[in-house]
Amino acid sequence: MKNVTKHVRQAVAAAALPLAVLAAAPGATAAEQPITIVINQSPWFPGFQAVVEKYVKETGNQVQLDINPFAGSLEKQRTAVRTGTSPFDLLIMNAGFFVEFYKGGFLEPLKAIDAKFALGPGIGDFDQTVCWNAAKSTLDCKTGELMSVPINPNVLLLHYRTDLYKEHNLKVPTTWEQLYANAKVLKSARVYGISQRGQRGAFDVTYDVFPYIWAYGGDILKSNADGTFTVAINSPETLAGMEMYIKLARDVGHPSTAGQTQTNVIQNMATGRAAHINSVPAPALFDDPSQSAVVGLVGYAEPPGTEKYGTATPLGHWLAGVPKNIPDPRKKAALAFLGWFQTDAAQRAYAEAGSLPVSLTVLNSDMANQPKFRWMKALAAALPHSRLPFSITESSQVLAITELRLNQAIGGEMPLRDALNKAAAEIAEVMKAAKYTYQTLPDLK
Amino acid sequence: MKRETIWRHLTLMPAIVLFALLTLLPLANLVTLGFDDVQWLDRQAVRTWVGLANYARLPADNLLRSGLLNTLIFAVAAVALQLVLGFVLALLTTRILNGRTFYRTVFILPILVPGIVIGAIWKLMYSYDFGVLNQLLALVEIAPQDWLGSSHLALLSVIIVDVWHWTPFCFLILLAGLESLPEDIFEAARIDGAGGWQILRYITLPLMLPTLAVTFVFRMILAFKVFDEIYLLTGGGPGTATEVISFTIYRRFFTENQTGYGAAMSVAVILVIASLILAATRLTARRGVKP
Repeated sequence: MKNVTKHVRQAVAAAALPLAVLAAAPGATAAEQPITIVINQSPWFPGFQAVVEKYVKETGNQVQLDINPFAGSLEKQRTAVRTGTSPFDLLIMNAGFFVEFYKGGFLEPLKAIDAKFALGPGIGDFDQTVCWNAAKSTLDCKTGELMSVPINPNVLLLHYRTDLYKEHNLKVPTTWEQLYANAKVLKSARVYGISQRGQRGAFDVTYDVFPYIWAYGGDILKSNADGTFTVAINSPETLAGMEMYIKLARDVGHPSTAGQTQTNVIQNMATGRAAHINSVPAPALFDDPSQSAVVGLVGYAEPPGTEKYGTATPLGHWLAGVPKNIPDPRKKAALAFLGWFQTDAAQRAYAEAGSLPVSLTVLNSDMANQPKFRWMKALAAALPHSRLPFSITESSQVLAITELRLNQAIGGEMPLRDALNKAAAEIAEVMKAAKYTYQTLPDLK
Repeated sequence: MKRETIWRHLTLMPAIVLFALLTLLPLANLVTLGFDDVQWLDRQAVRTWVGLANYARLPADNLLRSGLLNTLIFAVAAVALQLVLGFVLALLTTRILNGRTFYRTVFILPILVPGIVIGAIWKLMYSYDFGVLNQLLALVEIAPQDWLGSSHLALLSVIIVDVWHWTPFCFLILLAGLESLPEDIFEAARIDGAGGWQILRYITLPLMLPTLAVTFVFRMILAFKVFDEIYLLTGGGPGTATEVISFTIYRRFFTENQTGYGAAMSVAVILVIASLILAATRLTARRGVKP
């Protein structure tokens, strides 16, 4: 019987693992109600967890973390805001789907909770994605309301092997052609010139091709100044960007680019099998001897671009919003955490714990000169060139199309031009059904 | 109506009410949702009646078409292999006199492993760069294979995992069936001079047909609902090589937030699967087998 009880206890403990409860230090007194944060398991999550522990310790306020896979987190958030009372007090929303929460009226404007609340000094608005003008349905910090606080500034950065660069006397590339040339030099039987994410997922291959297609002047769904859209995935410029992606994959890349996930790509760099990757930064992992064979050997730079269009990187950042359907004291408690999270001390602690701070002040501080934080300068340089890939509520439908068609083109299942033309026609259907005003381009020949 | 009959109906009522609440109501809700377009505005679900429009979109859905085809290939191939292997293993186990419990335990181990763990184990084994399968191929100087990233190999790789996972289920049911067969018929056959193959062909197989039919139907139902293995191993890719219907519904319903369309797709798929299962049951019944 004793054994049965023990097994039951172990089973319950195992089942409760995804819900981490962070208890306060004995001396601290809670000023706010306990909160629950729904979040996804990402390379930057351990840093977030560490900084939440610090918050709990310092303030005595209790925080539960509900940890999920990417898609699972979105589903939980949707369900939570559509019920009577949300079980979550803070939603950590990705750049790919946060607009849906703004437009659906699911989030409380932060100034409605506390009129004095504002973004902290040095905290960027990330292409105005923290603000929403409900009347115009636009992301606009001049006329809109503050809806969220950035939590993680995910953008793609070029990761390269500094030891190999030194050995072959190479310069850090600023254009894709230069990267191609360098990757050709570094490619060997043991090392891929580059490892690229090409697998179909929720927002996987599409996210990773943006630096290529933007660098050649292309786009997937272009937002025009007059509020209309252009389905641009089958433009000659997008084709040029995709051709560069495929050229790298074919000549100097991983033999299974179409099957590579973000985890595979990071693993290839960490095990020393890739000379370059374009990835959201996970610097703590590469400098951890227990997880990496390239400790201290990974350098960071902005993604390459072209002479004509420069460089651009897609925002895959994470924003924290407060649901409308929770009682006021819980809203206040959630806001207290966000206020604390923006402080300089919290942002520095966040970086120390291996995550990426959203504070430009910290990114440009003395910390950036330490070898441990050598990625900070690259991130600070890349952020001004970061762009939001999609600003429509139906982005998940567009992504379902692009994830499939781009993956088919990369895997050779469909000729590139056909894949782009087909994707354009399918995106146009989504835009038509959602009653947007949009233009299409002639098919690529 | 007799008092006893009324009493019987009354005692059944709680179960019927529970069944209606937990099964029929959600199903009815799904059916009605299939005729609506659902949008969320100001925290309210705005349902607009669209008639059969959601159903009309189904034939043109490329993911659904691929999903149906792949599911059919997956279910037929995986279940056929599982039945054959399960039957062979069960036959061999019945012939073991000592240590039968040990073999039975070993053979059913994969069924005890949670789907998420199976996904992790096989993903590692199939890894292009670090997988044990490619390392074994390297030992015999065969080039590494892209097990999960190649559109030619991915579905086969997933089928292999499913066969590994579910053969024990077939083995268990078929072993129970074999052990329950009357021994005197086999003894009589042996006295009449029947060989091993003849006993298998003319006695064991005909007697086992009802058990085989039940196992087939159970496994087909489960195979049509495959999700976790695909989700963890390939995410439906590369391209649509491993797209299966449950995954397509998941994408349309949840990831893309197309509630009405996802509901219509679910209803259509339920009807298709029910028809297939019904056809399979009729076919076996026509051959004199009552599952």
